[in-house]
Amino acid sequence: MKQTLRAAAAFAVVALLTALSAQAQQPFADVGKQPAITILVNSSPWYSGFEKTVELYEQQTGNKVKLDTTPYGGMLEKARNAVRGDKSPYDLVNLDTQWTIEFYEGGFLTPLKEIDPTFDLPKEVLTYGDSGYWNAAKRWRTASGGKLMAWSPNGNVDLFLYRADLLKAAGFAPPKTWEDVLASCAKLQDPPRSYGAVIRGERGNGIRFEWMYFMQGKGATVVKDAESGDYTVTINSPQAKAALDLFIEVAKRCGPPNAGALGQGDVIQLLATGKAAQAMVVSAAWSNFDDPAKSVVVGKIMAVPVPAPVGGKAPAVLGNWNMAVPKNIADAQKKAALAFSRWFLTAGAQRAYAEAGAIPVRSDTYQSDLASTPKYRWMPAYLEMQKYASQELGYAEGAQVEQILGLRLNQALIGEMSSAKALNAAGREIEEVFRKSGRRTGALSALPE
Amino acid sequence: MLASIVAALNRSFRHWSLLPAVLLFVLLTVYPMVNLLRLSVSTVEFAEGRAQWSFTPTRNVALLASDSVLPAAVLNTSIFVVVAVAAEVTLGLLLALLVGRLDRGKGLVRTVMILPILVPPVAIGSMWKLMYNYDFGMFNQAMVALGMSPVNWLGSTSLALLSVILVDIWHWVPFAFLILFAAVEGIPVDVIEAARIDGASSWQIARRVMIPLLKPALAITLIFRGILAFKTFDEVYLLTSGGPGTSTELVSLHLYKVFFEQNLLGYGAVLSLLLIGIIVATLLTSRRAVTARSNA
Repeated sequence: MKQTLRAAAAFAVVALLTALSAQAQQPFADVGKQPAITILVNSSPWYSGFEKTVELYEQQTGNKVKLDTTPYGGMLEKARNAVRGDKSPYDLVNLDTQWTIEFYEGGFLTPLKEIDPTFDLPKEVLTYGDSGYWNAAKRWRTASGGKLMAWSPNGNVDLFLYRADLLKAAGFAPPKTWEDVLASCAKLQDPPRSYGAVIRGERGNGIRFEWMYFMQGKGATVVKDAESGDYTVTINSPQAKAALDLFIEVAKRCGPPNAGALGQGDVIQLLATGKAAQAMVVSAAWSNFDDPAKSVVVGKIMAVPVPAPVGGKAPAVLGNWNMAVPKNIADAQKKAALAFSRWFLTAGAQRAYAEAGAIPVRSDTYQSDLASTPKYRWMPAYLEMQKYASQELGYAEGAQVEQILGLRLNQALIGEMSSAKALNAAGREIEEVFRKSGRRTGALSALPE
Repeated sequence: MLASIVAALNRSFRHWSLLPAVLLFVLLTVYPMVNLLRLSVSTVEFAEGRAQWSFTPTRNVALLASDSVLPAAVLNTSIFVVVAVAAEVTLGLLLALLVGRLDRGKGLVRTVMILPILVPPVAIGSMWKLMYNYDFGMFNQAMVALGMSPVNWLGSTSLALLSVILVDIWHWVPFAFLILFAAVEGIPVDVIEAARIDGASSWQIARRVMIPLLKPALAITLIFRGILAFKTFDEVYLLTSGGPGTSTELVSLHLYKVFFEQNLLGYGAVLSLLLIGIIVATLLTSRRAVTARSNA
């Protein structure tokens, strides 16, 4: 009898372990029957991949998802109106990383563990500089003492894309430094027929985002130590000036005469039409270049991490999206939104997401067999950059600082003012913003103009 | 007693009957304006899931002084309004006078002319952005084909505002034409015949007879276009977003950035009031000028 009991117990343990192991290896989560949800999502280059993955969710689970697909320009206002009203029409809202702080601080979102205390991000899920966590006491996005408020459906960093055929023919190796890029430009630049390398230079988010790669590379910062509450403005440091001078040199010596007006669409277009030999492009745009309907350079584009200056730091500025659950929806809807989130972040869903042309957000997808296939040849560069990628402007005043930098950097690029004058002006204006919002701030002495 | 109340009500009915209209006016016009005024002297912050208003009467006005983009925005808007409206009204008048002389096909010309007004501004912005594109746009392709160098239409600080103004002119000349053409058609034929019999040339008839008779229509066109030009947003947002530098920054675009991108609601309200003030001041000045000229 004892033996039978022991055997039964052993069988039960083995069965349980097998079941748990099978559960652990399940590529998709079983989230059960859930009410229909509505998601506010942007029509960015990765959208079609998201849409296909949502369709897979509907097929697998029978749960319905309605997508409110909105151009970037309308996303912020739709999200604001939704969470500020009595009842949000959306169960999940997708927020650009710069906007999250306004929503976290405003108390408009539901911490995910309040919906289900057992919910956590799988360890393989990339947290993109902890942009989904909010530490209210520190007013900072960090997992240390912070609540999980959101997860990322997309994590953009810039990749440096180059025409493998052109660089090889000209005798250049893939660039590792901006000096390599300048050297190749000297040979490949033939305007207006072709350009050596193109970078976004248009006023606003475009130039601010791209320049920060140069800023990080030169070891410069916008403020001294925002996480610790020291908002002393350091944007007019000699390192920042060197970064801006290098940026202007690359943009002007390698790009078209309208470098100061180049936006994301222009840069993609120049590379896809074969007019540019190299470009700094967000990872989400990759699918444009291997699509014969959109590109004349199919199979010719390769990706490396964005170059650093000689002797400088490897740069990677994060520009991710964050999916969050509004506070003003019914509990059942919150649970359904979380169920979708749980499913979406599984290994199986992320593989399907990558295969549909999007940028997956799990590290194991990048380490899978996909990374070694030509279609996904951008993956190693992306994963490499995630090792040192960081968030910039992660404070409530970020949008105002971006406006200031976006203008002053552009004015320096188009020659309206010198780099030193532009950075001094930006420094003064940013300090004023922090002073008015009651931060501990200060400034460096002005650069000689 | 009752009869006297009914009689009083009947007598005052003409006043009471206005009540629905007054209520609608208060709801749709007065309330938003009062709210805007209230917002302009407040700071709105969001915490604990709701808006928190605090009364800060001087803070937002003080921001005007430290706004380094505003002077450029006001200057660009002034240039935009003066150049665009002057060109639109002049071209609209010329077209109206020319088409007015046609014996046949006036209806067809009018129908064709109306097309640019029917195109949504978003489509206009996208269409012209493609045409202005430095590398792939039709203007530069034509110039290169003719052996000329490509022009940096939207990327040059000296050309960008003019490029935006050209789009606005293309969009709104038909509006000026339609109003002025209706006025031209309304000029009594016998007046023109009388001038012709008196030996006036075509130029003299246009200058001495038709244009004076068109003054009220010209004033209306100028005022309408002036108001709309001050509020131009979509075209410049799509074409340049205010760049390069501040060369195409208009007040309405700056207002959008302050309100919606920087989320400074109080300061955005101050800028809104400033824009309303500029429009009203311009309207009053131009009305006075028109009245003075008419009297002269």
